[in-house]
Amino acid sequence: MKTLRLIYHLARADFLERTRRYSFFVMLGVVLWFGYLSASGQFRMRVPPDYLGVINSAWVGATMTITVTLLLGWFGFYLVKGSVSRDYETGVGQIMAATPLSRPLYTLGKWLSNFAVLSIMILILMVVGIFMNLLYGTPDFNLWALAAPLLLIALPCMAIVAAVAVLFETIHWLRGGLGNIVYFFVFMIATVASGLGMASSTGEANRYRSFSDFAGWQLIGDSISRAAQTAYPESTGGFAFSITYLENPKMFLWNGIDWTLEEILPRFVFVLAAIGFALLAAVFFDRFNPSRVFPTKRKRAGSNDPEPVTPVEAIPVSNVHLTPLTGVQNRFRFGALFIAELKLFLKGQPWWWYTIALGLIAAQLFSEIEITRILLVVSWTWPILILGGLGCRESRHDTRQIIFSAPRPLMNQLPAAWLAAFTVIALMGSGALVRFIIAGETTSLLGWVTGVLFIPSLALTCGVLTGSSKTFEVLYVLWMYMLTQNAPPFDFAGMTPESPWYIYAPMVVVLLIITIFARQWQLTTRSSYR
Amino acid sequence: MKLVIEHLSKQYRRDFWGLRDFDLELGPGVIGLLGPNGAGKSTLMRMLATITQPTEGTIKWNGADIVRSPNTLRTVLGYLPQDFGVYPNLTGLEFLEYMAAIKGMDAKSARRRIDELLTVVNLVNAARRPLGGYSGGMKQRVGIAQALLNDPQLLIVDEPTVGLDPEERIRFRNLLSDLSGERIIILSTHIVSDVEATATEIVIVNKGCKLQHAAPEKLLQVLESKVWQWLVPSEELALLKQKYIISGTIRRNDGIQVRVVNDEPPTSEAQSVSPTLEDVYLSLVSHNGVTH
Repeated sequence: MKTLRLIYHLARADFLERTRRYSFFVMLGVVLWFGYLSASGQFRMRVPPDYLGVINSAWVGATMTITVTLLLGWFGFYLVKGSVSRDYETGVGQIMAATPLSRPLYTLGKWLSNFAVLSIMILILMVVGIFMNLLYGTPDFNLWALAAPLLLIALPCMAIVAAVAVLFETIHWLRGGLGNIVYFFVFMIATVASGLGMASSTGEANRYRSFSDFAGWQLIGDSISRAAQTAYPESTGGFAFSITYLENPKMFLWNGIDWTLEEILPRFVFVLAAIGFALLAAVFFDRFNPSRVFPTKRKRAGSNDPEPVTPVEAIPVSNVHLTPLTGVQNRFRFGALFIAELKLFLKGQPWWWYTIALGLIAAQLFSEIEITRILLVVSWTWPILILGGLGCRESRHDTRQIIFSAPRPLMNQLPAAWLAAFTVIALMGSGALVRFIIAGETTSLLGWVTGVLFIPSLALTCGVLTGSSKTFEVLYVLWMYMLTQNAPPFDFAGMTPESPWYIYAPMVVVLLIITIFARQWQLTTRSSYR
Repeated sequence: MKLVIEHLSKQYRRDFWGLRDFDLELGPGVIGLLGPNGAGKSTLMRMLATITQPTEGTIKWNGADIVRSPNTLRTVLGYLPQDFGVYPNLTGLEFLEYMAAIKGMDAKSARRRIDELLTVVNLVNAARRPLGGYSGGMKQRVGIAQALLNDPQLLIVDEPTVGLDPEERIRFRNLLSDLSGERIIILSTHIVSDVEATATEIVIVNKGCKLQHAAPEKLLQVLESKVWQWLVPSEELALLKQKYIISGTIRRNDGIQVRVVNDEPPTSEAQSVSPTLEDVYLSLVSHNGVTH
């Protein structure tokens, strides 16, 4: 009883802290908007090419479930991740560490709070779904058909996401930006695996892999596919989820998944697996013991020390004197500030980071033009973690009051920071630049210029607006992934002949204007430093 | 050199004012800002440091309105906030170089100044180590150094001695005394002895309002023959606490020696003693603005 009470209070405090944050309401708004799009049939599940279900309770519930597992499964991780880090940063962790709180109880409490944050969104979404269904749905409203997929598929999926967030936070090297990037690929691989056993469009039904289908896509997809084939025997099955508009869709009735123990039990296994992940996190959790992290830092600190310093005797306390700076004019020098920002930007990376960066630049120079393009994407992705600090470093390290009380922080520091990032991106792509000039690749060249302007601007805007590196890291990795997939709308870098680089170039100006206004607003009206 | 604050107010929520109708005129010297937690000291300092804008009122530096043109003051301002961070991957030296560039100092004079400051704050030996490995007191000293980089005419230091060991605290006090000349230094602290040692003027703040602004001697004069000391049995202490403003107690083997601020002698055994700034502070704050 005492243990349960402890977990409850740990989770409750964390839950309240998070649900009172701005980011929670932003995410809730996005989820509700997507829920509306799902319930009103604008987000479409279909059986290719044009078989569409009649909008009823089951259809709305399933569409919402697919939407929510995709949206919250991916971005929900970034929303809930950070609660353990916060305990490190605020020092609350050290207070907790001095109590009898055990490691498994702590990680379970954190998991529960993460799960509660994601669940509350699903429950609100379900209420919206019910209202929408009553407003627009078929007369035979069926609460169970609507709620079942959300409760039995979406909630267990969120349990897993919540646990993985705790696990990532307890593993030291996954706690920061690298963890955000790793999760992007982990989720992508997991969702592909989730849908792997789905009935193919050739009509060949694969065996249902219930224990890999954590997002329930195969479970829903197979059921819908079967319903379409029953109504239209010529249908070859398959499942797609998109916003595609269908001219004359062939409608069929789907009454939802026939929930038997065989379908329900694996869902509970996912919840158990989530608890398992949360307990596994306890193994990696250092219980706020800095000695488990410090040795590497000390080692690095030592290597940063270029020359041994001869100990200097402290001046006597009674003889403290500071020479006045007479005749010195404090005149702003952009060059000095730019160098300082560049140093701040590049400092703290291990030696292999620079070695790989140099290797990538050289490889761009000596590769085939198509390979150079891919290498350019990789090179521009390489400094993602340092780019993430642009515009938000002052909040992350709490130097705002010092920096913002210096002369003209908007016109001096902000442009210098942007230029430092621009220089790094330009350097990282310098091999490709030479290669494009030699090959006379005009589109690629224009894309390169757009890229070196667009990337720092995007990073700066995200950093200033959100005060965190998370948004940029998530957005940027997704964007760069789309670049490798040759998706023209995302191609700011001239990777394809259809690249709309000419749209991204003026967008740089828009981003910078937004950034200047946002920072100006922060400097003049913000009173959150209280 | 003059800093004039007129009708300054800061509203955080509809029903909560951090500072209300605050007036102050300051010239060169060390101004000790005293007040309990949440009194509005940090709010005042952040507005003076151009970090937060006031809801009402004006702040004028040598006649220039710093709310409208904050850069007039920023070029000659040194500010040490109560809570601040540093960039953990930079060394102490690099951080100060960065701050010097931010403040617009030229490289040569910045380097000279940084060398001297590192000596003054006793960080020469740690200057080339990453800040991530610094102790709380060392970070505080880096903060002090950055505030002094541009030889500021207005130096605002909010709880500067927090985390400093006694030797470093005394060093800082002496540094403030050395600096106090042709500049305005605003020192906010809970440690009355720090103010006692350095301040030429004292401002006492409570609940967002100014309770007193006077030279330390003037404040002490107010309580002359109003501070009493006598020995009481331990069990009487609770009763005395309800009746009087107790500014100090010392436990002895024959009872407790209490120190009380009161217009009249509380008992016939009570002896009049010389007032201290702590007595003045407690007396004013305990009256909760009655003396305003």
